[in-house]
Amino acid sequence: MTFSIRRVSAIVRKDVKDLIKNAYAILITIFLPLGLAAMLSRSGSDDASLLGTPINLALVITGAFVQATIMAEEKEKNTLRALLLSPATRMEIMLGKSFLSSLITILVVIGSIFISKMQVPGLFYFTIMILLSLIIFISFGTIIGLVSRTVMETSIVGLPLLVIFTYGSLISTMLDNAVVSTIITYLPTESFSSALIILEQNGGFSEIKWHLLNMLIWAISSLIIAVIVYGKSRFDK
Amino acid sequence: MKHEIEVRQMVKSFGKKSALNGVDFHVQKGEIFGFLGPSGSGKTTMVKILTSQLQHTSGSVQVFGTDVSKLRDSSQLKRIGILTDNSGLYDRLTVYENLELFCKLYDVDVKRIDEVLEEVNLIQDKKTVVSKLSKGMKQRVTLVRALLHKPELLFLDEPTSALDPTNKQQIHASLRKLNESGTTIFLSTHDMQEAEYLCQRLAFLDHGKIVELDNPHNLRSKYGDSTINLVLRNGSRIQIKQNENGAQSIAQYITNGELMSIHSNEPTLGEIFIQLTGRSLQ
Ligand SMILES: Nc1ncnc2c1ncn2[C@@H]1O[C@H](COP(=O)(O)OP(=O)(O)O)[C@@H](O)[C@H]1O
Ligand SMILES: [Mg+2]
Repeated sequence: MTFSIRRVSAIVRKDVKDLIKNAYAILITIFLPLGLAAMLSRSGSDDASLLGTPINLALVITGAFVQATIMAEEKEKNTLRALLLSPATRMEIMLGKSFLSSLITILVVIGSIFISKMQVPGLFYFTIMILLSLIIFISFGTIIGLVSRTVMETSIVGLPLLVIFTYGSLISTMLDNAVVSTIITYLPTESFSSALIILEQNGGFSEIKWHLLNMLIWAISSLIIAVIVYGKSRFDK
Repeated sequence: MKHEIEVRQMVKSFGKKSALNGVDFHVQKGEIFGFLGPSGSGKTTMVKILTSQLQHTSGSVQVFGTDVSKLRDSSQLKRIGILTDNSGLYDRLTVYENLELFCKLYDVDVKRIDEVLEEVNLIQDKKTVVSKLSKGMKQRVTLVRALLHKPELLFLDEPTSALDPTNKQQIHASLRKLNESGTTIFLSTHDMQEAEYLCQRLAFLDHGKIVELDNPHNLRSKYGDSTINLVLRNGSRIQIKQNENGAQSIAQYITNGELMSIHSNEPTLGEIFIQLTGRSLQ
């Protein structure tokens, strides 16, 4: 198995050039979480658990959505096939094609933290959870992008997911159904928010370990599914 | 010696419908092999199977002497070039930026870009954004992308279908040049002139079956009726058999100064196709 950084960086550089010429398409997905963070800072609250909402939004909307758009466009315009038929390995293509959306997402997360003027509780575990979430939502984005036939379709495929992951707790209170509520507590976004609250109350590893494990399982399974879907797009039926 | 491509008893079905139905052929190293057939005869399906984008249902398909599934390795993919009707370009990027990416993926010096653009008459559009190009120009860019790395084996699926005659000729010339420098070419087309000009050997494909396979010269003599057409000065056209009587009457016309033109009656590839299948190539 060979691995070529040159090829990965060629794919990334192409994506950067492409995105610069199409920046308006992703502006909204960047401004939504940042706007929410700005509202938080105005509210004057220093309850760091509130930080979970803009960050989850950044991960779901910016991460998954930008990634889905990038992938769906490659698929719609038949350029993905040319990449897959080039000597670039699947690993190189996946890394190259995830780099830009990951970078943007991290910037939006950092931006949200600064704008909201909140203190991040437990920076070490916080960073780990952000990275796990990044893997989860970039994988989601990849899957959504590859199962959609067009860029337009990504919104239709992705919207229900977006609502469930970002507004899980709201749905939970609204429906007031024990089963649904239990399922929702297992969402990675809910784990993240809960862990943030625990960290803020000076909890440590033993208090958040089940949340971390839950997120890890999500990360591994979504990555595996993304790799499989990638492999399938190499072929016609 | 192993052939570049070897296909035996190959069947491809989509559900109950079969698109290719027991296909046998091989492609020799260094030749341009033509796959000639009308729309829907299975050309694209064949190219996709040969490039491992589609799995065949039964039979054997070998490329470079090993099963076609091996073509999924990086080292093997470097050796081939592919142009199909679903080869896309990045619309927002320039011609150069599109090709630059693939130079890097294939480990080719970017200097090669000018060289190939020159060859397909696109050098003046190097900096043009792809979305501003005509369909024919895009087709030439995808062709360029397929041969940037001077592949050993090039697959072309109707490479000139969107081109005007001048550009078509130019592409044909560069394909010949590429072939002379050692690239084996598998060409699918429904354009009989293209097949005639480029291909050393040709398979006629009809409804997923190869109905004839030979070099153009043999095909013409096999399906020609070996008659000779004369046009006389008075405008009349005469068909003459190749026998003693025929020879005498031709001699007569020449002696009398009546002969204006003389041609052997060779059928075109298109006519042979109609003879074989009862339908035309278009
Ligand atoms: N994905 C597919 N599903 C079902 N039928 C297909 C598919 N692709 C091609 N076919 C059928 O296979 C036959 C050959 O198609 P194709 O290879 O595209 O022909 P050509 O390229 O010579 O025009 C056609 O009858 C076409 O309808
Ligand atoms: Mg076709």
